[in-house]
Amino acid sequence: MGKKALLTGVVAVAHAVKMADVDVIASYPIRPYTGVMSELARMIADGELDAEMIRAEGEHSQLSIAYGASAAGARTFVGSSGVGVTYAYEVYSPISGARLPVQMMIADRTLDPPGDFGSEHTDALCCRDQGWLMGWAETPQEALDMCLVYYRAGEDPQVSLPQYACQDGYFVSHITGEVAIPDPAQVREFLPPFRPVRVLDPAKPIAVGPQIEPSMGPPLQYQRYLAMQESRRVLTEAYEEFAGIFGRRYAPLVEAFLADDAEVLLVTSGAHTATARNVVQKLRGLGEKIGLLKLRSIRPFPDRELAAACDGAKVVGVLDNDAAFGISGGGGVLYTEVCTALQGGGLGDRELLGFVAGLGGEVISREEFYWMAQVMLDRARRGPVAASGKRESGGDAGLMARENWKKTFWLPFDMEAGEGAA
Amino acid sequence: MSGGDRGVAWAFPRELFEEKGLRQVTVWTRGVVLIKEARDVVTALAGAAAREGKQSQAWENYVDLPDRINVPVKAYARISDRPIESRYIYENEAPDIVVVVEESLVKGNPILDGLRPGGTLVVNTRRRPEEIARFLTPGSGLGLLAVVDAAGIATTEKTLSGQEGASDASGIGGGWAAPLSGAVVRACGLVGLPSLEAVVKAPEAARIGYERTILLELA
Repeated sequence: MGKKALLTGVVAVAHAVKMADVDVIASYPIRPYTGVMSELARMIADGELDAEMIRAEGEHSQLSIAYGASAAGARTFVGSSGVGVTYAYEVYSPISGARLPVQMMIADRTLDPPGDFGSEHTDALCCRDQGWLMGWAETPQEALDMCLVYYRAGEDPQVSLPQYACQDGYFVSHITGEVAIPDPAQVREFLPPFRPVRVLDPAKPIAVGPQIEPSMGPPLQYQRYLAMQESRRVLTEAYEEFAGIFGRRYAPLVEAFLADDAEVLLVTSGAHTATARNVVQKLRGLGEKIGLLKLRSIRPFPDRELAAACDGAKVVGVLDNDAAFGISGGGGVLYTEVCTALQGGGLGDRELLGFVAGLGGEVISREEFYWMAQVMLDRARRGPVAASGKRESGGDAGLMARENWKKTFWLPFDMEAGEGAA
Repeated sequence: MSGGDRGVAWAFPRELFEEKGLRQVTVWTRGVVLIKEARDVVTALAGAAAREGKQSQAWENYVDLPDRINVPVKAYARISDRPIESRYIYENEAPDIVVVVEESLVKGNPILDGLRPGGTLVVNTRRRPEEIARFLTPGSGLGLLAVVDAAGIATTEKTLSGQEGASDASGIGGGWAAPLSGAVVRACGLVGLPSLEAVVKAPEAARIGYERTILLELA
């Protein structure tokens, strides 16, 4: 049997890495990732973990080391935060292109400027299309579990892709939470040793990452596309087997909370979901038909699952904890993704709203989530906006008021300006 | 919170979000040299609460860190019989208990800001509580002042281990944190003394701190 302990997110991940029996760890310090690195170093020094730990001279080298080690057949682990994540950018596509299941823990940190230790999802989301699985953990427990599930799914021969296992910096990474540390035997059952299809071997030379002719590009990219598509099924199966072995059941791609009969749904990802859930629950208690959908997976993006969960909702709001300047819709990355997943729901039968909040690591307060909920509930009561710009119901239908068209809000500024009210 | 230009107001129903039974502990200390003691107080109290089947969390104020020598820095714990709904409201908004690791912090620092009415202050000092009370802001709503000479019971511990959310290889509660946590238990019974003794490296120091705590009712 496993045991329970109060652990921070960084220590929880270190326990997962230890139980995953990782072979090679490449590291370079940056807050808030640093805690994982020091915990793993301690585990190696204390003889708890038998792994090669290589201190790189920067994140680009850190990822390059993992690239080589994984190609040689090692189970590898790296991690970073903020500008450390972006400094290694060049190496992400080569790793997924070589179909190497490196795992990278990202403890979010705001990109400069200004220098800010605070958490923001922008760092990881910059890398969202590099052929890596990507998802956020809400608690230290989820961080531990996600590490194991991602190795399992990423190393599946049908997927063979690297993974970004993300957690909100300091909210998840530095606050303790109760964690059930699994029994190592259970982990061995769930996650057998990495068995690469091909490895670098002097006896059987292969080339990894060679130059290609343009004609070889389409099939190579298409294979990566297919692998990412296939990862939906593999992730779902992995979470199912995880539940059977460890007794913790996760909705693999989208986690619904009070969503069944909801007219208004808020889509979230990561730590701030906890505060959002609290507000949604209180509003339910007041009789409001509001629910919440947490995206456990961002890559692959759960189009179908999200669309199914939003069926019947009049208003869907999307929380973005990322800055995406000039992006379509004026919200954040997740807003555009949800709009695409729900295809054209912005006009007519369903309204899609975006909320950018918590930038720079600022807490997203209950007041802010309450305000987001009121904006959504207000829109739901007033009825959908027709393509003509006229509302089908409501006293001021026919007025193409600015508020009717305002779809995206930046908090706290729009809240303080009363932009959502009408 | 108001609706602004169209005159529609959405007043935030603060009372709806009251967490009954939640106790918030804020610990003030000085950077680098005494940071472990603050971290150990919140870690020990949260760990003792978990042993009693309570919900708890412990953390350092990330924004205060990385710390510099002697600057005021904070650490927090939350303890409740129920799931903690304010888990990611980063700072304790209304502490029930404030602990001061080094006595001179009572001067010139907003240690009692937001204190819940009737709250408790625990100070590591050799002075009488009446003398400490002279430095406190009037009207803070402080209900109980507890002093303990933690420095006379234990020696402060210094380590670089345990920073940045990592675990502390030197162990928890071997220094001032043990008697200080004992004083917290004595002042407000946040956790049971046996639970505290079970999680600290120096259980005897925790017990002596508990016994030697001097209380002054203010409310």
